[in-house]
Amino acid sequence: MLIELRAVTKIYNRDRPNEVVALKEVDLAIEEGAMFCLRGPSGSGKSTLLAIIGCIFPPTKGRAMIAGKQLARLPDRFLTLHRRRAIGFIFQQFNILPKLSVIENAALPLLPLGVSPRSRREKADRLLEQLGIIHRRDFPAEQISGGELQRLAIARALINDQPIILADEPTAHLDSRLSLDFMEIMSGLKEAGKTIVITSHDPLVADHPAIDRIVEVYDGEIHVF
Amino acid sequence: MKVLLEKHLNILDFALSTIWRRKQKNISIFVVFSAVIFLLASFQMLTRSLTSLAQDTLKETPEILVQKLSAGRQTGLPVVYSDGLTGIFGIKKVVPRIWGYYFSEVTGANLTVMGLDFSEMPMADQIDLTLEEGRYPEKGEAGVVVGRQVEEVLQLGGRTTISLFRPDLSLKGFTVTGRFADEASLLTGDLLVTGLKEARDLFALPRDQVTDLCVYVANPREISTIAAKISDIFPDTRVLTRSQILKTYQVVFNWRSGFGSICLLTALAAFIIMAWDKASGMSAEERKEMGILKVLGWETSDLMALRFWEGVVVSVLAFITGCTLAFIHIVFFQAALFRPVLLGWSVIQPPLQLLPEFSLADLLLIFSVTVLPYLAATVIPAWRCASVPSDTALQG
Amino acid sequence: MRPAAVLGIILLILFGLNTGFWWYTFRQADRYENQLEAYRISVASLGLTDLCIATEARYTRHPAVSDYLSPFMDHPGAVEHFPTGTFWQAPPYLQRTGEQQ
Repeated sequence: MLIELRAVTKIYNRDRPNEVVALKEVDLAIEEGAMFCLRGPSGSGKSTLLAIIGCIFPPTKGRAMIAGKQLARLPDRFLTLHRRRAIGFIFQQFNILPKLSVIENAALPLLPLGVSPRSRREKADRLLEQLGIIHRRDFPAEQISGGELQRLAIARALINDQPIILADEPTAHLDSRLSLDFMEIMSGLKEAGKTIVITSHDPLVADHPAIDRIVEVYDGEIHVF
Repeated sequence: MKVLLEKHLNILDFALSTIWRRKQKNISIFVVFSAVIFLLASFQMLTRSLTSLAQDTLKETPEILVQKLSAGRQTGLPVVYSDGLTGIFGIKKVVPRIWGYYFSEVTGANLTVMGLDFSEMPMADQIDLTLEEGRYPEKGEAGVVVGRQVEEVLQLGGRTTISLFRPDLSLKGFTVTGRFADEASLLTGDLLVTGLKEARDLFALPRDQVTDLCVYVANPREISTIAAKISDIFPDTRVLTRSQILKTYQVVFNWRSGFGSICLLTALAAFIIMAWDKASGMSAEERKEMGILKVLGWETSDLMALRFWEGVVVSVLAFITGCTLAFIHIVFFQAALFRPVLLGWSVIQPPLQLLPEFSLADLLLIFSVTVLPYLAATVIPAWRCASVPSDTALQG
Repeated sequence: MRPAAVLGIILLILFGLNTGFWWYTFRQADRYENQLEAYRISVASLGLTDLCIATEARYTRHPAVSDYLSPFMDHPGAVEHFPTGTFWQAPPYLQRTGEQQ
């Protein structure tokens, strides 16, 4: 299993009056090359679950094995190191830095790895080529269209060749055509062996044939379909 | 090791592009920063050069000066006093001298007139080296040697005679026999030097009086003892030793540079407030950017390195630029900006041909009061901010 | 070219410029030594006591031969020395006569 959660509990503001139990004893296993969809109303614990899978913080209790590392044991610094090796993120609003060019945005995760400018350019070029936005390479990100922005976000998530792709409401701001496009790219990645977890309300995502399982998150508990 | 270097080069690249993306903010900081460093460095260089010049040259000043005081002010000193001095053991030579000021009403310039017997002075054999052209007047000749700036102010041109007013407004004529060397203008620019008798005639001083006595002693270590003896014998005199003059001079300079420094300190304080505000205040945009970078796998230390490099680039560039401009200002423009402070509204302004004095201590001082606070102002908030939880970028 | 290289070049230019200046100073030092010698001879042979800076007030031009009262003994037409004279105003009664005129 690439992702394995055992009795994972996450409590915010522990032992304080505003204590919130976001996840209760969650068990979840995702094998390599699978595509999962996380679904649930806001406040259900969906984002917390995604953050734990994404190695952003460790669970309060329980075991979380992500790409071969047990999170609870890792100090914050190693969490970051592990995250950048294992996880590629695609955010709801893509979180692209608008003043940077397309290629600079795509190569951002490579900078602290000490990758030389030349191989940075090569890697980014290859991905931009694959995703069909190579012609926008040197444009500032604020000047490209929504669809291109989305592809750029995907390119950035893949730049370090991470095995796991996490997408947080990626289609929330896209029309249905672009949403379908997005899912097409995702299924292509799935075929290439990536493990993909998408949170979404969007039926276009949940009902897509490439989705292996749907995980319903509700009040900190999950049901897998 | 290579990876670490490449990593920091990458972060530096990114820092530079960040600086470039916020051009307006960073260029304004750079300009103000350079200006502050320019002012501080210029001032420091100038006062240091002048002080060291004064200290170097005034070592040759007369060892003891004797002046007469009356009712608390300096008055004419009877020449006979010099006879009384020769009795003191250890005194090599006593040279009577007349100093005075001549205010030229037409030009508003204050000239210094000096009358003395040149042949009596130390280094008398080399005295002609102080002249650009001409010679010193002979004994009994109504001749005068003028400074470079005197010649300019009085618009002598090629004329070899000048007339100055006596106190009763009758005219006293002089023949210009020589001109002081250009390179010593900083010392002799405002001087009119003539014989003792001629100076006495110009100022209409009583026949038996001079302004002061220059006393030279055989053994420099006895200066203070001899000075004490002189004031014992002539209680109505003021006895100045060379070390006192040097000290006074340094105090005057320190006073002036202190005055300048206080003005500059206010500028510095204003700058630090501005820099703190500009550098430490992180906008929502910057915070978000840091959040994104953090989720993308940048460590806290990488983010701090990013801010550190941003600060280093701006402040070190400004530091070098400021110091370079200061050098140009002092050496090639003769400290044009500070001349008013140092020279006052003087009509006579000798050129400040100075050898810039570099002192590592000065540079370090300026560095530590400007660059270091700036770096602190950029890095500390980043450290606070880099610990923002990375999930701020999620659900943005 | 990567931005860091551009920065490097800028730094190199500034560094070169400053090295040039340093070299210039170094070369000037010789000439300056001669000048200093001229200064020393002037000071010694004329018995000077200070530099010809701020000539318009005797208490700044010749500290060694002035006294506490000398600021008031200059010619009334002589402009006061900055900043020495900037801390005191003329007495109020003088200012008042000025207004009446």
